[in-house]
Amino acid sequence: MMEIEITINGRKRRFDVEPNKLLLNLVRDDLHLTGTKYGCGIGECGACTVHLDGEAVLSCMVLAVDADGRTVDTIEGVADVNNLDPVQEAYIEEGAIQCGFCTPGFVMTTKALLAENPDPSEAEIREYLKGNYCRCTGYVNIVRAVQSAARKLGS
Amino acid sequence: MFASDMSLPNMLYGRVLKSAHSHARVKAMDVAGAEAMGAVTLTPDEVPDVVYCPRLVSIPEATYRDWRVLTDKPRYVGEPIGAVAAESEEEAQRALEAVEVEYEVLGASFDALDAMRPEAEAIHERIYLEDDLLDVESNVGCALDITEGDPKALEDADVVIERTYRTNRRYHNQLEPKSVLVRPEPDGGVSIWSTTQTIHNTRLLIHDIYGIPVGKIRVYKVALGGSFGSSIHVNPVVNIAVGLALKSGRPVKMSYTREEDIRDHCSYQMIFKLKLGANRDGKLAGGRLEAYLDIGAHQIQAYPLLGCVVGWWVSLYKLPYVEYTGKAVYTNKVPSCAFRGYGNPQITWVVETMMDELAGELGVDPLDFRLNNYIGEGDLFWGQGPSVKSIIRSCGVEEILTKGAEMVDWYNRPKAGAQTGRFRRGWGVGRGYHTSSAGAPVPSSIVDFGGAMLKMNEDGTFDYVSALMDHGCGTQDAHVKIVAEELCVPVEKVNIIKADTGTTIYDVCTHASRGVYSGGGAALKVAGKVKTQIREFAGRILDAYPHAVRIRYDEEGDRTVVYAEGIEGREVTYREVAETARHKNWGTVSALESYRQPSCPPHFTGYFIEVEVDTWTGKVKPLRVVAGADIGTVINPLLAAGQVHGGMAQGWSMSLLEDTPYDPETGDLVNGGSIANYKVPTSNDLLDLDDFTVFFADTYEPTGPFGAKGLGEGALNPVAGTVANAIQDALGVRFFELPITPIKVLEALREKEG
Ligand code: FES
Ligand code: FES
Repeated sequence: MMEIEITINGRKRRFDVEPNKLLLNLVRDDLHLTGTKYGCGIGECGACTVHLDGEAVLSCMVLAVDADGRTVDTIEGVADVNNLDPVQEAYIEEGAIQCGFCTPGFVMTTKALLAENPDPSEAEIREYLKGNYCRCTGYVNIVRAVQSAARKLGS
Repeated sequence: MFASDMSLPNMLYGRVLKSAHSHARVKAMDVAGAEAMGAVTLTPDEVPDVVYCPRLVSIPEATYRDWRVLTDKPRYVGEPIGAVAAESEEEAQRALEAVEVEYEVLGASFDALDAMRPEAEAIHERIYLEDDLLDVESNVGCALDITEGDPKALEDADVVIERTYRTNRRYHNQLEPKSVLVRPEPDGGVSIWSTTQTIHNTRLLIHDIYGIPVGKIRVYKVALGGSFGSSIHVNPVVNIAVGLALKSGRPVKMSYTREEDIRDHCSYQMIFKLKLGANRDGKLAGGRLEAYLDIGAHQIQAYPLLGCVVGWWVSLYKLPYVEYTGKAVYTNKVPSCAFRGYGNPQITWVVETMMDELAGELGVDPLDFRLNNYIGEGDLFWGQGPSVKSIIRSCGVEEILTKGAEMVDWYNRPKAGAQTGRFRRGWGVGRGYHTSSAGAPVPSSIVDFGGAMLKMNEDGTFDYVSALMDHGCGTQDAHVKIVAEELCVPVEKVNIIKADTGTTIYDVCTHASRGVYSGGGAALKVAGKVKTQIREFAGRILDAYPHAVRIRYDEEGDRTVVYAEGIEGREVTYREVAETARHKNWGTVSALESYRQPSCPPHFTGYFIEVEVDTWTGKVKPLRVVAGADIGTVINPLLAAGQVHGGMAQGWSMSLLEDTPYDPETGDLVNGGSIANYKVPTSNDLLDLDDFTVFFADTYEPTGPFGAKGLGEGALNPVAGTVANAIQDALGVRFFELPITPIKVLEALREKEG
């Protein structure tokens, strides 16, 4: 067991974890933050995307011990109780959510993209999102949602 | 909340013990090691000796049964032969590895035609149909033959083409792997949260297997992370988890890994021999279709599918003569189940491909050839095989095809001709349709009815309850819109209530593009009944005749008002109606309706697709897509367009990418279960926004709620045929096997051009 300390969604937390524990499992099973999804466990689908020190990472590819001393943000930390984040709003308004299972991962990736590049072109959006997999939407309304979120955040 | 997100205090984690062989007999299984580690185990002799079919959409006379919860004769790599439950997933996995199994390995078949050879090992000796035990001959699980019309029509045709086609075996790759949580209840019942498209059929199957009284089984609706047909049947893991929960007396959660999920379900691979004839007048003369459905190791209602395949075929174009023979064949592969379109994308690919070939032989434009032969308004249509037929009352085929042709300037498209450069472009057209529900004016072999409940709350808002699942098609949203429209309230005033089998009335399943048409029909019915009661109560309050009062939404006051027109002061809000009804003890305004649609109207779609083929790499790129859809009244344009986008993406990868071939040596999937080796399109493999246009035909379905029909499946069905036609146009090469991979493209080019 290793003792680690992570700031999760703005709060410092301490855990005893096995060295082989995945950040994904820490988040989902121990913290019950089930907005982060398991879709493949091998870095193929992006459903497990969280932010590690503000950067989008696949939590199924990160060991919990590697997050020691760092900041992890999950989809649960994105909105407060009463207000959705503009990115979430844009996904809803543009019809970019069908089954919704991929959505938390997409929202986290989108937030990272817009933090890096507030006014991305369509090609830049498509390139940045290519690690997030969606079986329902064909990505059209997702790309629109990212564009709309960029406008919301820009204005 | 998705099933895979649920947890309960004191819960165990279950894991499935999977067969390592594609066909074997389990001679011995030793679970002592696992039990010594503290795990609960479940073996084939501990589950009820019940042979079932996991899909309960058709009547028993059409349902062949060959499944057991755990088998001692596994028939594919990955088939569940045992299970364990332990305090954590990791402990369960360790326990699983401690189980010792001794197999006697048997011969296996990995191809439908091979499996039918006399020397092939029998995969099932006997299967059930109702109470009868049937012998299985040549590994054919079931068969259907249909002939209609005069064979001379085909014999005398001016042009006849005959070809053999083979489709791919696609994995649904729904984003949420199958998952279930079961809690045993003190009264001997169980509560279940699972990935399913049907809570009521889940309850029925658990009752059939475990004998628990129906009312003691509660199956709760949870969100579903995509499904595309893969949870119309009750997923095998659900039945296993119930067994573990009953044995351990504790809640059990089982979530498949992606590698397990890809060995749990897949689409039907189909082999078709199609012969179509046409005459110089541009009309089809008739056709003959042999269909071999590779169903994998078990039947998930393959018999109705045999009927659907012929139905989809004969309802695309008018065929004066039809001859069909269909066989569902066992192989030692993962059992096949419905996948968006239920056989329709497969047969439509074949027909749309051959329509182009025939048009070429006749020297007519492929678009005109389609317009000359399609089945439309006033024609008879087979909605779900031979037992579900109805007359088409709304049809936008002509509008879709002519408008789409205008948008892409079809008749002036560059003549593909003999392109020689590295990049070659081509246009394809294709059309398709799908049924909306399996409703019909008479009973059929398919169960199709649903139900809804609606009540007015004390503040004048409404609670809506239905058993239909929402798995990404906007079904519940559409229902709310229908109810809101009928009752003149904004959608926010209609709440969707979380429900389960105990609090809803029966609904067969969210499938067959029936969510909006069929379920929405029930929603409209209850809304109508509730409206009648509101009029009745308001009439009493206003001292007006119930049938004469009118209803309007007052935006400024954000309230809905019932009033007697032209008479000053005679108006009352919904809230006041509800309050008065309570204070005067008139009761609650509410309605419950069990409803079957009398029809199964087709929704029609058409695609125009331009592709570019890189003749050096064999890769195909989409350049432009115009897609038209006739879905009757468009209830939610954004979500409807989303269905088309998703259909295009899935159709694109069906055409070019997806397949799950087997390695006959190992008996397992060539990709070893890894989706890293199962390619699907990502956001930058598809079209730019400006290059993808979706439009809707202006039609009204008289039997649909506010004129609406379905869309989910029709959005996909024509894509593969259209893409194949576009590739043919670009290269002058036709492909008879899906997917059209870069290797196949390069091989074909080498053969043609050296
Ligand atoms: S679960 Fe991490 S990428 Fe799929
Ligand atoms: S919305 Fe279902 S996978 Fe993206």
